[in-house]
Amino acid sequence: MAIKKNSKSARMRKAFYFSMLSLFIVIALPLIPYAFDALAVDQNQNNAYKPVALEDPAINLWNNVRQRNGDIEGTSQVKGVDSGILINKTGEDWRRFRMEKLMPYGAYVMAGILGVIILFYMVRGTNRLPGGRSGKRIPRFTLNQRTAHWFTAGVFWLLAITGLILLYGRFVLIPLLGAEGFSVTAAACKEMHNLFGPLFLMAVLAMFILFVKDNFPRLVDLKWFAGGGGMLGGHVSAGRFNAGEKTWFWLLMIFGTALGISGLILEFAILGQGRNVMALAHVFHGISALILISVSFGHIYLGTVGVEGTLESMTTGYVDEAWAKAHHDLWYQEMTEGSEAVVSAEKTPASGITQSGIASPDTGG
Amino acid sequence: MFEQLVDGIFWDIALVVFFAGIAWRIIDVMRRPGRNDLAVPRSSGISGAIMANIHGFFPRREIAPRIRIQVIAGYMFHLGLFVLLIFAAPHVKFIEEHITGFGWTAMPYAAFVITAMISFAGLILLWIHRVLDPVTQLISRRSDHVATLLVFFVMLTGCMALAETSTGLRLFHRFTVELLMIYFPFSALMHAIMFVPSRAYTGSFFGRRGVKL
Repeated sequence: MAIKKNSKSARMRKAFYFSMLSLFIVIALPLIPYAFDALAVDQNQNNAYKPVALEDPAINLWNNVRQRNGDIEGTSQVKGVDSGILINKTGEDWRRFRMEKLMPYGAYVMAGILGVIILFYMVRGTNRLPGGRSGKRIPRFTLNQRTAHWFTAGVFWLLAITGLILLYGRFVLIPLLGAEGFSVTAAACKEMHNLFGPLFLMAVLAMFILFVKDNFPRLVDLKWFAGGGGMLGGHVSAGRFNAGEKTWFWLLMIFGTALGISGLILEFAILGQGRNVMALAHVFHGISALILISVSFGHIYLGTVGVEGTLESMTTGYVDEAWAKAHHDLWYQEMTEGSEAVVSAEKTPASGITQSGIASPDTGG
Repeated sequence: MFEQLVDGIFWDIALVVFFAGIAWRIIDVMRRPGRNDLAVPRSSGISGAIMANIHGFFPRREIAPRIRIQVIAGYMFHLGLFVLLIFAAPHVKFIEEHITGFGWTAMPYAAFVITAMISFAGLILLWIHRVLDPVTQLISRRSDHVATLLVFFVMLTGCMALAETSTGLRLFHRFTVELLMIYFPFSALMHAIMFVPSRAYTGSFFGRRGVKL
């Protein structure tokens, strides 16, 4: 009886041990990989245990979407330039530059230059020819040069007006036309701007070919600057173009080219350029345009009401002898030495009679 | 209201004036008394007329260097305008829907922009030249400037309406086209048609006398 009792107790003990082992295995089995991983981490970190940070997967996702650390290109079924970039980080930089820098500072510069010119005119008035007109005229610009000039001027101002409407129209025109009216105006201006833009580049090229010869800097230009271009009183010598005109010419060449090329990048978006290139092109385009528009105020002022007798050089091709002596004395000497360039006013083509003197403005070239 | 007028009665009036005016001008020229040439022709008047029409497209060698701007700008403007008129997508659509009932392949946007640019450059250069050159200044009349401005505005409004985002811009373009159509028969713009019989008449006259033009 005692043996039976012992064997029963032994079986019960075995069953208990087996049950406990099974329970341990069931609980421990899923932890085995964790144990291996934990051991591996410990080995890699010199057996120093550190807690594992469990990040919210959504944070990584949105960080990548926002491209906070620069543009990360992913993959997309849509094939195209920048199609793998969800949000362009530089777009916000460009927008802020346009709204907070380009627009306000551009307006200040344009208004400032315009204000200075108006003030100067009110104080000084028109710079009259000393001793009045001589009645004799000298050929100054050929027909081709005048045609190129007015073509450039016309295209420039059409682009300037449409461009300024696109840049500042929302502040100036929406209160006048309403949002819908401005939308139509802006759409029309955009089409005009795109259409005439490439023509401006061609016009700049034509201006370069026709005018570069006489626009290289010379020593006399430094003296011209030192004398304030004659605006401060006294006489300053100048060749065919004075230093101010040369400065305007090279500004037009440099910023006009930048304006044209950046415009082509913006207009023909089929050449594979991405958003970053477009944003950069827009920055160059805006800065170049505002510089040229601002400086052109001075050019227009000096070419019209600022200096007596200047405008007719670009309308008739001739200038008065007194004008040439007063403003371009070195050129006047070149023109009159051993030639018959000076003609009396009644024989100029403007009066309907062509003359056969040298460098006639109407023979082209 | 304005939309109905421009698309409706104004368009009808413009069409009538345009075609009736052209017919009237042509009949007027045809009815002018001419002298019968009784002399035995030395050469064919018809071949003279044809040759004069062909030669008219090329500048004479003697004066070519002096009229370079007019020739180049003239071709730029006229060819550009012709291509725009026939192959601009909105025009092809309009012709198909309102005139022929069938259309043809229109040119793509980039080609439109380049063609319009060339045409505009030609027109502006021609006009500036007309204003600046002392000879063309003398022979130009107010109607020449009006015609140039009208054509310029037609082209400009057409380009403004290119995106077809606004009915107002489309109507503006169509309205300027209607003004041009009404003005066309009574102006120097008739040269677009009359250059052929004009050259033919001169070519035939000299052709019969054996003079090469």
